[in-house]
Amino acid sequence: MGFFVFLMVFGFFLAPYPVRDFGCLYQGCTNLPPFTDWAHPLGTENSGIDVYSEILNGTPNDLFVGIGATVISVAIGVLVGAIAGYGRGFSSAILLGFTQVFLTLPVLIIILLFARVFVLLVAGGFGLPLITLILGVFGWPTIALVARGEILRIRELEFVQAARALGAGNRRILFRHIVPNMLSPIIVISTLLIAGNILTEVIISFLGFGDPNTSTWGLLLQEGFAYIRTEWWVSLFPGLAVVFCVLGFNLMGDGLSDALNPRLRE
Amino acid sequence: MGQELLRVDDLHTFFFTEAGVVKAVDGVSFSLDEKEPLGLVGESGSGKSVTAQSILGIVPRPGKVLSGRVLLKGEDLLKKKDSDMRKLRGRKIGVVFQDPNSSLNPLFTVGKQLTDVVRTHFDISKGQAFEKGVGLLKLVRIPEPETRMTQYPHELSGGMKQRVAIARALAGEPEILIADEPTTNLDVTIQAQVLELLKSLQRELNMALMMITHDMGIVAEMTEKVVVLYAGRVAEVSPTREIFSSPKHPYTAALLKAVPRIDKKASLMSIPGNIPNLIEPPAGCRFHPRCKYMTQLCVDQIPPLEDILEHRKVSCHHWKELSLESEMAA
Repeated sequence: MGFFVFLMVFGFFLAPYPVRDFGCLYQGCTNLPPFTDWAHPLGTENSGIDVYSEILNGTPNDLFVGIGATVISVAIGVLVGAIAGYGRGFSSAILLGFTQVFLTLPVLIIILLFARVFVLLVAGGFGLPLITLILGVFGWPTIALVARGEILRIRELEFVQAARALGAGNRRILFRHIVPNMLSPIIVISTLLIAGNILTEVIISFLGFGDPNTSTWGLLLQEGFAYIRTEWWVSLFPGLAVVFCVLGFNLMGDGLSDALNPRLRE
Repeated sequence: MGQELLRVDDLHTFFFTEAGVVKAVDGVSFSLDEKEPLGLVGESGSGKSVTAQSILGIVPRPGKVLSGRVLLKGEDLLKKKDSDMRKLRGRKIGVVFQDPNSSLNPLFTVGKQLTDVVRTHFDISKGQAFEKGVGLLKLVRIPEPETRMTQYPHELSGGMKQRVAIARALAGEPEILIADEPTTNLDVTIQAQVLELLKSLQRELNMALMMITHDMGIVAEMTEKVVVLYAGRVAEVSPTREIFSSPKHPYTAALLKAVPRIDKKASLMSIPGNIPNLIEPPAGCRFHPRCKYMTQLCVDQIPPLEDILEHRKVSCHHWKELSLESEMAA
């Protein structure tokens, strides 16, 4: 995982060729298979784009979508979950209902719909920030449900009652006792959500609804897909990048949940 | 006995559940003097803990204190605003809970949790609060207090955790310590140590102690006065030393006979029946369905809590006719 974050920060500088560089087109090094020419270790595609550079160039964009959308989801989700869990009565019931309705929405279809509308309104696809925003705005219900469940559980624990009995106010109880204790499942879910968001972004790009001017793994996958019988490497390597990145985030979720547990801390 | 410190007067705390209104505390009255160790005894569901929660104003929903008074040095706590109550919780009244495994926050060190409470109630620096925390741990006889301050609850044994919980309850230097079944979740040997500790702390610090328990052994050991609760009402109030030899309420007598005794050969008696459903409690005396002295009067009328002797009260229509002492001697 650290590896991908490293790539995100420094990958841009490591990439031997600039973003969507068509230079090779004029040097006759298109359609290079991987591992044949060390100038292009993972080969090039039919318009001469270097696959290795393109993966590196795509890393920050993919992580931006994955992490950015998750941050938005967590912010909305924890807020909604906290109100639905700590508050009571009418507002909490409404919020819970709203969350459940949101959960049933087919997010991917809605995103594609948005994409179509935007393609019609604005020429070209819609930019990464917009994809991020939409993914974030549609991704919060799971977080909200987990947050609410956790608050309902923790609120009844004896140490919360003890804190109240010994003079702690609502704010201290919420921020000292409840929030820290609900953090570890939220963080674990968040890492899974990052992985999910990256996957969704790949799907959107792959289906051709992404931003054709921004390098992402999904875009490269899609470009390679047309020539998969002759130029398998163009699709394979960004695909592997997706797999390792998603796997990395999932493993990070596991690692974090262990690291956040003081019982396992030494 | 000293001055009256706390008086609970005709307290009613009901829980408004979907199944109906649970009358958990239905007219409980008793008083607690300064420096007095008091026992609040009853079966599970008799209203012991809810009484304590009502005193502190922390009855969980859907519970609600409907009426009554809780007078602390003459001031009615039920009329106070929550922000005022907050200053008083922990400061005037400290609480120790049943399960030390869950009454401490697992994510913070012992020191953090102690200094949190200290700094809630006293305006002092972190360094001073830490010193005070070490002092509190010394007070509850925890060895190597400086090391303990940096440890997490899971690094301590059950008995040690309960000592920390007691230290935390004492952090605000309260005048009353409420201990809600503080030994129920501990090993028997540790129980004795914790009880011994509470007893000596009560004397050392000149606090009033409200010991909530279902264990008559603990009552005998720890308290000077005992309030017996049954199904949300007071059955009997008595000095501890008198109640064992001469209970006045049939329920108290039955409760005492359910305790094993080394000096008597009599077999243990269980009380027939169950604690009543508090949504629709029995009319009249709540104990009547389980009482062998029951008469029509018990079904028709609620027995008042009568002053019968000095310091003794009982809520039974027939206390005069019954000779429960001889029954106890048998």
